This record gives sequence, structure tokens and C-alpha cells, in this order.
Amino acid sequence: MALNLKILANKPLGYQLSVIWLGVCAFFSVFGELLPLPEWNYSNPDMLGVGMFSPGHLFGTDYIGVDQLSAIIHGTRYSLGIAFISVFFGMVIGGFLGILAAYRRGWVDAVISVYFNTTLSIPTLILVVTMVAIFASPDPFNPTTTIPRVFVVIIAITFVLVPVLGRLARSSALSWTGREFVLVAKSMGMKPRSILWQHIVPNVLPAMLSVGFLAAGVVIIVEGGLALLGAGAEPGASWGSLLARNRGDISLIPHTTFLPVFFISITVMVLNYLGDYFRNKIDGRESRI
Amino acid sequence: MQKLIRITQRFSQVALVLFLVTFLVTVLVRLLPGDIATTLFPFATEEEKVEIREGLGTNMNIVSYYFRWLGNFLQGDLGIYYNPGESYSEASMTVWAMLSLTIPRTLLIMAYTLGFSLLCSIPLGMLLAYKVDTRIDKVISNILFGLSSIPNFAVGLGLAYIIGVKFELLNPIGYVTWAEGPVEHIKSMIMPVLSLSLGLIATFARLLRADIISTLKEDFVTMASSKGLSNRWILWRHVFRPSSLSLLTAAALNMGSLIGGAVIIESIFALNGVGMFLVTSIALRQYLAIQSTVALIAISYIAFNLIVDAFMPKIDPRIRSHRGA
Repeated sequence: MALNLKILANKPLGYQLSVIWLGVCAFFSVFGELLPLPEWNYSNPDMLGVGMFSPGHLFGTDYIGVDQLSAIIHGTRYSLGIAFISVFFGMVIGGFLGILAAYRRGWVDAVISVYFNTTLSIPTLILVVTMVAIFASPDPFNPTTTIPRVFVVIIAITFVLVPVLGRLARSSALSWTGREFVLVAKSMGMKPRSILWQHIVPNVLPAMLSVGFLAAGVVIIVEGGLALLGAGAEPGASWGSLLARNRGDISLIPHTTFLPVFFISITVMVLNYLGDYFRNKIDGRESRI
Repeated sequence: MQKLIRITQRFSQVALVLFLVTFLVTVLVRLLPGDIATTLFPFATEEEKVEIREGLGTNMNIVSYYFRWLGNFLQGDLGIYYNPGESYSEASMTVWAMLSLTIPRTLLIMAYTLGFSLLCSIPLGMLLAYKVDTRIDKVISNILFGLSSIPNFAVGLGLAYIIGVKFELLNPIGYVTWAEGPVEHIKSMIMPVLSLSLGLIATFARLLRADIISTLKEDFVTMASSKGLSNRWILWRHVFRPSSLSLLTAAALNMGSLIGGAVIIESIFALNGVGMFLVTSIALRQYLAIQSTVALIAISYIAFNLIVDAFMPKIDPRIRSHRGA
């Protein structure tokens, strides 16, 4: 713990707060199950629409008596999980395709770029809603075999993230392949594969990582939007679907709507801050060279 | 000549992307589980169902189905839209009739949002750049950073609660056309436009601020100020234009994505724009409506990008030399 605090000591306040927020969220998404709270989907008929800070229910309950603290904690696991899994796969696949396109040029670049442009010209939410409708709606003849909606949401979001992150990786890799040290490595007879791994990838990675934070924020927003359109994760499971379920009661028990909204907004803000912070660091390093 | 080749290259790429987009959507649409005939008209007779399928072409294989749709689309026939519930014979409308109701709404929302956010962000960005590193700049920049991170549905729900429910100043639901009453129209647009603009204002102002700060370091600014020109004159006449590039790009990209991306705000405020039309079409398995609408959105998204690319050198002639034209 002392070591962790030392890492934070010389950083700006925003960075410290952001790391603490993400740390707390990560902690609760892993260990939230162990807390002595009601189940996230257990509805207590004696406790309907209890307000914030009431005894036993710190965040109150919603109109079907679900403890909101427990629901928010469970939502943390889902929302952050969806964000990080889809950003991870988006970065791996998009980064691979983007760097490949930038390095090989020619027809490989043309094919990959056309693929990126195609997916980017369909509105993100519409594409994801369609994919969720295709793969998650229960087959009337065989309802047991449907995959959980979260996985469908993750796959659909990854599908739209790949071109976004891939295009960034491509332009970043393009700017590096033109550098003198790559030319030197080529003229010294270094193999293209080694140039790629030793010179291009290590330089593209930091930029991708900083964009990854921004992308995770976008995914949390997209997931919320999907849920509002009725195509999110299981009802009440993530922040977005919690928001979507409670939205109808905004005039009676507004706190159940604004709790998930608050958590989504703060987390997105934190992720954006960290993304900006790392990007500035990289830019600073660049300008010093 | 070289320019001509570049333009034809560009346009053939655009055509290819449009072909792939529409084909991908066709595949996705045909993958949607459930059959339109049984989803929309559960009580139709077997003959009627066959007739519906033939009318849509869903009895054909996917390639001939696609080209049939494409042929009709290129001739301006966007397809049939079935109103659910009613009996099949009276239910069919054209997709175009539905879109002619929804497109004006979406375009108006976009225009208001763009106008309002540029109107607020340009003076704000310039002010912040002018006062760079003062206390005002630091405070407002941090606030803007926070605002740019808040999702628009959060702003929308907040506004709907505070203005619509708590103080009952505006009706949070529904859209009023200009013809039904200009005042009511503006009133119905205030909250949606505000919720879409708030994040954009913050983003635009921060972009403009950063660009102006870097432009202010250029030699021609030092030159202008050593000629004794006033700060205001330098800022508006010399600095603003070369600094507005990323602002314009961001504005165009955001408008492009708003065509279908405003769907959540449309759903919160029950506006029934293009986005909502698409989402309900997906739910109701209106194959032709989905295909034609996505095609139109993709066309306008690509057109936005092409226009921006074409206008960039007009705004900052230095770009032309970079691209070797």
C-alpha cells in the first residue's frame, strides 16, 4: 500500500482522484459479492422506493424494492467489464489490422481501409442495436440456447470499436514508418517483421493505450445508450440497464435514475482525464526529442 | 489531369464503401430472426403472407434481393413500410412517406445543435485562448473538460427532470412542427438541443482554444502585433481562420454522426426523428425501411466528410501544398 501511495505522490490532483476512483470501482467489481448486501436482483416487497441514506439501504431502493447500492456495485462489474473486455479486443484486433495496413501498404492497406470506412459509415448505435437484435433475441423454437445478452453486447461493441481503434493505429503507425530510424533499420538489413515488433509496435502502443482510456469511456456511454433503447445487458445488471429500468420513475423516485447517471458520468470523466493525461505525456516526450 | 485521377479514385472508393455498407446492412437485416409477415401480421392468411413476402422479395436469395432493393433505391423508390396491427391490405405505406416526416425533424435538430454550439463555443474558445493560463481560463477549462465527458443522455435526463418535471417549465415529451406554432416549436426543441449541444460546446471550445494557442506562437502573429495591430483585430482577422480547422472537422464529423446518433435524445424526448424511426424499424423487422434509411445515412455521412475535405484547403491554403496538389 505504501508503494502505491508513493506512485501517486508526485502526480496532479486529478490523476490521484482518477486512479483512486478507478481503484475503488475495480475493488467493488471484484469483491462486491462478499459485502453483506441483498442480491442485486432481489426485490424486497416491503421496501419499495425507499429514499437515499435510509437505514439498511444507503442508496435507497427502486420501485420493485431492489437495493440500489447492491445494484450499482453489480453494475460496476458489468459496465467496467464490458468496457475493458471490448476495448481490449478492439485494441488487439484493431491495432493488428491498423499496423498491418500501415506497414504493408498496397492492396492490404486498401482492403483494410475500405473495411474500416464501411463500418464507420453506419451509425454506431444502429449497428449495435441490429446486432443485438440478431444474436440476442430468443429464438421462439429454441429459447434455451441463446447466449447471455452481455456477451452479445460485448461482441457487437467490439465490432464497432475495431475500425475506430484500427484507424488510429494505422495513422499512428504510418507516422512512425516514415521515420529515419526505421529507414536506418531497413538499410541495415533488418527483417520487416523485426522492424515491426522492435520499432513500430512499441511506439504505437503508448498512443493506443491513451486512446484506450477514451474508448473505454465511449463504450460505457454506448452501453448506456443501448440499454436506453432496450438493447443493453440483462435488466438492471449494468449501470446502463439499471438506468433504463428506473428511468420511468424519474418523477417519483429520481435518485434511482440519477445514481447510475452519476456513476456513468464520473467514470467517463475519469477515463477521459486519464486518456488526456497519458496523451499529453506522450506528446511531451515527443516534443522533447 | 492528376487531379481528375485523384477525384475518380476517391469517388470509386466512396462507391465501393457505399456498396459494402448497403450489402452488409442487407445481410444483417436478413439475419434478423423472425419473419416480417408473421411479426407484423400474425392474423394474416397464408396467401396474404406469401403475398407480403413476394412484395418485399424475402422469398428470393440474398443477392437478387439486394439488387432488387438497390435498383429500386437508385430509382428513388425506398420501399414499402407496413403499419403493424391493421389488416394487411390497408397497412402498406412507403418508406419515403415515413422518412419525409422524420428527416425534417432530425435536420432541424442538427442545424439548431450545430448553430447553437458554434455560437457558444467560438467566443468561449477565443476568450480562453486570449486569457490563457489565467485563473478564469483554468477554472472554465476544467469545467469544460467535465462537461465534455458527460454523456448527452445524462444531460437530457437531468434537464427533463429539472425543467420538465420539477419546475414544469417545458413539456419534456413530443415534437411540435414550425407550422403548428413557432413558439411551441422552439419550446419543444430547447431541451433536446441543449442536451446535444452541451458536450459539443465543451469539445469545440477546447479544440479552438488549443489551436488558437498554437497559432498565437506563429511568426505572422508576432509580425502583426509588431505592426501595432490591436489584439482584437489580430485574433479575429489573422488567428481565427487558420485555427478553425480542427473545429470544423470536429463539427462536421459530429454532425455526420448525429444523423443517426441523436437516437437516444430522440427517444428520451419522444421526438421520432430518423434514429428512432430506424430503431422501431429494427424492432418491427421493416427490412426495406432499415436498408433505405441506413443507406441514406451512410450517404450523408460520407458526403459530410467529402465536403469537409474539399473545403479545408479553401480555409487554410497551406494544406494544399502539404498534400502536393
